[in-house]
Amino acid sequence: MAKDPEVDPRVVAGDYIADSIRSLMEGRVSRRTFIARTSALGLSGAAIAAIVAACSPAPGASTAPSAAGRTGVGATPAPSTSAGGTPPPSTGGVAYDPMKYAGTKVRILMTGDENDHRALGDKVAQLKEETGIELEITSPALGPLIEKTLQVLKADQAEFEIINYLGFLTTQQVGGGYFEQLNAYIDDPAETDPAWDFEDFAESNLRNVGIYDLENQELGVGSDVYGIPGLHSGSVVYFYRKDLFDAAGLEPAKTWDEFKAAAEALHTDEVAGCSFIGANDFSLATVDWYTRFITTGGELMTGSPATKDFRPNLNSPEAVGALQMLIDLLPFAPENVTTYGFAENVDAFSTGKIAQMIFWSTIAGPVFNRDNSLVADVTGVTPVPAASGQTSRAILGGWGVGIPKNLEPAKKPAAWRALAWITSKDVNKYFVEAYQIDASRDSTYVDPDLVSQYPYLPVAGEANANAQPIETTILNDFFAMNDVMNIEFNKALIGGQDAVTACANVQTQWEDILRKADVLA
Amino acid sequence: MERAGRWRGHRFLPSRDVALLLGPCVLYLTAFSLFPLLYSLRISFTDLGAADSSGDWVGLANYADLLADQFFWNAAVNTAVMVSAAVSIQVVLGTALALFFNLHLRGSWLVRGVLILPMLLTPIVVGVMWRALLNPDWGIVNWALETVGIDSPNWLGSTEWAIRTVVLVDVWQWTPFVFLIVFARLQALPRDIFEAAEVDGAGRRGMLSHITIPLLLPAITFAAIFRAIDAFRSFDLVYGLSYGGPARSTTTLSFLAFQNGFQFQNYGYAAATSYVMVIALILATTLLLRRVRVRRADAL
Repeated sequence: MAKDPEVDPRVVAGDYIADSIRSLMEGRVSRRTFIARTSALGLSGAAIAAIVAACSPAPGASTAPSAAGRTGVGATPAPSTSAGGTPPPSTGGVAYDPMKYAGTKVRILMTGDENDHRALGDKVAQLKEETGIELEITSPALGPLIEKTLQVLKADQAEFEIINYLGFLTTQQVGGGYFEQLNAYIDDPAETDPAWDFEDFAESNLRNVGIYDLENQELGVGSDVYGIPGLHSGSVVYFYRKDLFDAAGLEPAKTWDEFKAAAEALHTDEVAGCSFIGANDFSLATVDWYTRFITTGGELMTGSPATKDFRPNLNSPEAVGALQMLIDLLPFAPENVTTYGFAENVDAFSTGKIAQMIFWSTIAGPVFNRDNSLVADVTGVTPVPAASGQTSRAILGGWGVGIPKNLEPAKKPAAWRALAWITSKDVNKYFVEAYQIDASRDSTYVDPDLVSQYPYLPVAGEANANAQPIETTILNDFFAMNDVMNIEFNKALIGGQDAVTACANVQTQWEDILRKADVLA
Repeated sequence: MERAGRWRGHRFLPSRDVALLLGPCVLYLTAFSLFPLLYSLRISFTDLGAADSSGDWVGLANYADLLADQFFWNAAVNTAVMVSAAVSIQVVLGTALALFFNLHLRGSWLVRGVLILPMLLTPIVVGVMWRALLNPDWGIVNWALETVGIDSPNWLGSTEWAIRTVVLVDVWQWTPFVFLIVFARLQALPRDIFEAAEVDGAGRRGMLSHITIPLLLPAITFAAIFRAIDAFRSFDLVYGLSYGGPARSTTTLSFLAFQNGFQFQNYGYAAATSYVMVIALILATTLLLRRVRVRRADAL
């Protein structure tokens, strides 16, 4: 049975320092990580400096790919494993043993609203075969999942070893300090399969769901890892009907003006020129409005919660303009688009009733499914349009998986083993191959086998890499604020108010919420 | 030692038997009704919210915020509209159906059986089912109306129609309940009163307005109160049918409490909303039940 790394008497400081030196020499940890670790263990500054100097590569020597540390994210310094992180459960020199936790049962609490739980369910037997770990999946719908997650995280002891959390809730759940820091596990070659490849995770996703500066309460800042992107990530892309565009001699829209012009040109009684989320639905604001807003130069929030000047810009020209764009598209959209949510748009596009729309890339699954979709062979995918001079980008979606901090310590290493396995390259590839779930790993988006089957993948990968988290996710009131936008924008779309009034109403309500949350004076 | 006593002529059961008989029930009610009720009351005085909230005591702040919240009043108005409209229609229709089926026409037993089917469905199923039936693109209702040349309204897509649609679906589901109650009462009315009235030369209309309806009034009132309470706390129908929209036009108090509690994790605020509903229900039912008692004495 695995022992708690924090209380394991075998893990003594001397061994740990020796392991750290070995790791530094082998390039498995960065110098920064090494300094942090050894300082925490009481090594003097002079001794550390001497070791670092001794371990430095000779001039001209090639640098190992992992020299920045396995948990080093891009140009960010490698994370400190001593500050809040659990030390590795085993010391260096121990080879990775996939069956180390055989016979252990690991329970995961995850979403049942997507296909993720089905895909993972397919892999349970393989996990047991390769690691001996039995995985039990509990997958409620999003609402009950959030409820249950909060109960588990706030309990004296967690009843689930792994928790899958929505990226929009990272601040609430990871920022609340409820998840175990993972750097030590990631950096430990005895605990993490060498093929796992931490650096393969898209940086955007890592910063959205994995990295958190707890001390300063900043999402995506620093290098402390609390969650791993998965089991799916993704953003928004532009779906269009190649056959209709070709017939009309049009190119897929690169700007919003072109989008509207194409909608007008392609609109017929049978096929709507375009569509969007028009109902009071989560994605009305986050997909259709927000994409147009940021790609026309809009900035949702200014200031900072810390300085209590976190002010929304919902009454800016870009905000009003983005909503007005949707209103202007109504004549070329399906007649009942103001009742169209996620499912209605997917159904209508898949049955050939829509010429173009921007949407979560995850709908590529049903759209490119030849068994059910009438447009699988005639649909093209490109990045979302943007105003001249703006980068094509949209909101960043996705999920994270982590280990509850209040899990019984002895269970954490096995939990990590299972977590690493379910976020591995092979599993990620299977998710895309079998269910077209948006990948969390860069390599999956460009996997030659997958791309040959699903040519949209590189575009989805690019969108995922360029996507940005919506600024309000750092607040616990994110869902309430999003709801306000959806209601007011939907009201504008059904003719209950104009775009200026809708945006002003959102601005007023948001300011009230932000004042109550004490982030706006 | 077992003791027995008397209270207004009724023998007390021995105390051990009382404990054995009532104990499980009291335990059950304490665990599953009383405790949650008191616990949520305590929550309503705290700021218990999302993960980082400690649930600090805030006194009546949630209640004060609620009463100043325009969306609470919007939900209160929607609830009032739904309760009054739905219950009124159900009472009129249910009573009319009961009177009609009291004619005992041939085959009416079969129609009666079919009639009560909607109330056997759970409201969430009814909501989702009607949302599909009313789908503007492929719903069968619009297709049927358009086939006979009637333009379909925007059932769930316009603020004017959405609340009417919710009321209509509620009426569809619960009119059979009123019908059953009134019909049962109708079957139990003493025949001699009608025979006497007939001998005295009373016409059908006169008997209906002066004998039948007054005699049915306790049953009608009971059904109306029962339905009003149910409609007042109706949540699942709204959740499945309109999700409170568009533009909050069908957001009822129950749905508002759900949103605050389970979507936005403002548990304190949601609990306060629920308690305002409880207080309103207690006041309303106390007043109405007093009326039932009086009417019952009058009628019988």
